[in-house]
Amino acid sequence: MHNTIRRLVIGPVMATMALTAPAWAEDSFQPPKMTAFVAAGAGGGTDNFVRTIQPMLEERLKTNMTVINLPAASGVLAHQRTANSEPDGTSLDFASTTFITSRAAGQNPVGLDQLTPVARMQSDVMMLVVNPEKYDNLEEFMANARENGQKVVIGGTHAASVDRMAFLGLNKQAELELSYIPYDNEGSASASLLSGNVDGMMNEISAIQGYMEAGRMKPILAFSAERLDAYPDIPTTAENGWDLTFGNERGVFINAQTDPATISAIEAAFKDIFDSEEYQTYAKRSNLDVRAGWLGSADYRQALEKDLAFFEELMADN
Amino acid sequence: MFQDLLGGLWVVLQPINLLILTSAVLIGFVGGALPGISGVILVVILLPVTYSMEPTGAFMLLTAIYASSVFSGLITAILYRAPGTPEAVMTAIDGYPMTQKGEAGKALGIGILSSAIGGMFGTLVLILATPFLADMALQFSSPEFFALAVLGLTVVASLGGNLLLGLIGVCIGLMIASVGIDPLTGTIRFTFGSLHLMGGVNLIPVIIGLFAISEVLKRCQEGDIHLTSKSFKIKIFDWPVIRQIRTTIVRSSILGTVIGILPGIGASTAAMVSYSETVRWSKDRSRFGKGAPEGIAAPEAANNAAAMGALVPLFALGIPGSGTTAVILGAFIVHGLTPGPTFMSGNNELIYAVFVGLMMVNVMILVFSKPFIAVLSKLLDVPYSVLGPIIVICCVVGTYSVQNSMMDVWLMLGFGVAGFLLEKIGFPLVAIILGVVLGPIAESELRRSLALSQGDLSIFVTRPISAVLLLIAFVLVTVTIVAPILRRKRARRDETA
Repeated sequence: MHNTIRRLVIGPVMATMALTAPAWAEDSFQPPKMTAFVAAGAGGGTDNFVRTIQPMLEERLKTNMTVINLPAASGVLAHQRTANSEPDGTSLDFASTTFITSRAAGQNPVGLDQLTPVARMQSDVMMLVVNPEKYDNLEEFMANARENGQKVVIGGTHAASVDRMAFLGLNKQAELELSYIPYDNEGSASASLLSGNVDGMMNEISAIQGYMEAGRMKPILAFSAERLDAYPDIPTTAENGWDLTFGNERGVFINAQTDPATISAIEAAFKDIFDSEEYQTYAKRSNLDVRAGWLGSADYRQALEKDLAFFEELMADN
Repeated sequence: MFQDLLGGLWVVLQPINLLILTSAVLIGFVGGALPGISGVILVVILLPVTYSMEPTGAFMLLTAIYASSVFSGLITAILYRAPGTPEAVMTAIDGYPMTQKGEAGKALGIGILSSAIGGMFGTLVLILATPFLADMALQFSSPEFFALAVLGLTVVASLGGNLLLGLIGVCIGLMIASVGIDPLTGTIRFTFGSLHLMGGVNLIPVIIGLFAISEVLKRCQEGDIHLTSKSFKIKIFDWPVIRQIRTTIVRSSILGTVIGILPGIGASTAAMVSYSETVRWSKDRSRFGKGAPEGIAAPEAANNAAAMGALVPLFALGIPGSGTTAVILGAFIVHGLTPGPTFMSGNNELIYAVFVGLMMVNVMILVFSKPFIAVLSKLLDVPYSVLGPIIVICCVVGTYSVQNSMMDVWLMLGFGVAGFLLEKIGFPLVAIILGVVLGPIAESELRRSLALSQGDLSIFVTRPISAVLLLIAFVLVTVTIVAPILRRKRARRDETA
């Protein structure tokens, strides 16, 4: 009897709460503590990204965020700890495209069923970069690549990196047989390019600005659909008829079981950060504004699923 | 350039910047002295603090912390055989035996002086030759790095002791180094399905386990001895000792700077190579490992010189020469500055202020290290039954903090037990470290070289630098193996005659 009454009273209350839930959550998802797992080592691009965002997010969600770097094994541990965390929205995983490439390479057991993307904040443009003393433009490079095949060597980072995916994609779409040498880090790959030991390098536009200005490196191919406003002289993959449009992306992931309302609250906070002048100044300074970065949760998931399928296909061929 | 340096000096002498430098040195001292807290970690922790600072002050702070933390790793290495930083591993080999002999003060004095001179030499080279040297360093590519690693590995032959055990040690080290994702193909090796092992075995747990934990275990077994005899007085300018180690310091400073300048390898490798070269050049090799002053001078002069040398490619090319400089590179980018070819011409004031600041840091090491060690060594009056557990706690915390990984802590404790047992049979633990540090360099550079040459082995001999380095390695190994055999033969002939 009592139960019935209680149900009668609580029912409508619950219904009202459910209806107002999104707005309510957006205003008051304010956990006292949050944890940011970073799928990269201290000091790199992804780490800088997290540490720049940290105070902005703390201000908006009125919280304290602890940053934990878990660089081992391409950041797999960061994904795993986020996937195993309480699904209450307080554990975030800051990752780059490596999340998807290491998944495609079979190194990462955590997939998009366990982690849900919250937002994409950055989308860098992949470039094929050469030493201007060796090649002047894409035509020269391609002529040599067709003639010498395997002897033309491209440098980049580790075997499951987005650099290698770009390389595999180029080999496939342009029907080339170039060789790839993975270096421990971007710096070593750059050194090899500067010294002329490799013919080309896969790298993001943001990382090579200084060398470009000094005339020691030259990007000859942009992996994008349209020519970049800032660099109208660099030919694109699309105009060569190659369907390769990607680069390193950086975004935020969360345990897939988290309440959708909480996810949208966090997404809204990130959107607000992305639109802020403070964040845009940082993006501009780090040359991360060449291509629009923002993608919301649903769109980002779609983009990632498409990329994952493409990378898996590339890995299967090799 | 002289005017630039004066300008830099003027900036450094501003009260606020002097304050920054002094506090940076002290922060670096504390961080370097704690096992597991390395320069990298300190720089990362303080990076957000520098966001609101002027770039000049920010980079003086970061580079000064880096320089002084490389120095202060030697304190705990000498006093407790718990290297505070990976760079100080080699210092423990001869430093700790000296402490056991009651010569801690002498050992620390040698370490401080060698560090300061090495650091000053490195800074001088950094100031004078940055644009020129960076281009030279680019001559080094995969085949040369491979040859350098091979040269380093052959050191085991001249370390003295049992050659066979040494070789086994190197192999153990190489095996440890091969755990994880293969850097070239992405194949997963020896991880037994563990995600934690996929990242490979980090150097820190191996070093701390093998050296610090094994020592604590050994001491436990010996019972609680109160080391009152350890009260010591540090003498930095001890002329008879200086006369003994001056050639070692000069050679190691040069060697350290050169190795530091090479992109990708840092101060730990420099300390290792110069230690082994010192052993090689020495007339009486049997003194090493038992408290030879040169055994402290060599790695300390080299690692501090290399720390400065590693900044050369960073400033001139934007290519970090070591782990910590990679983090400093990140810091530059956060401040909207891109080190590299265009950087040198556009930011003179900042660069020369940082250079002058680094020079001053090396002077400050001479001034501040004595009182700092005096405070730290009060710990020695504490009975070992209290100190031992404190060392273990520091080791656990330090190891955990590197990658926030409990697995690393278990590994460290495992290596501690292994080190304790291996030492009982007179196993040279350094050989294992050699394998772990140089193994990955040798392996991946070998494969990269072969990829460059499409599998043609001649790439190692057609490139002059790699050919010379490999030839030296070959001759040294042959001499170490053949010489004793010849000597024995001659002795036998003499006997029969």
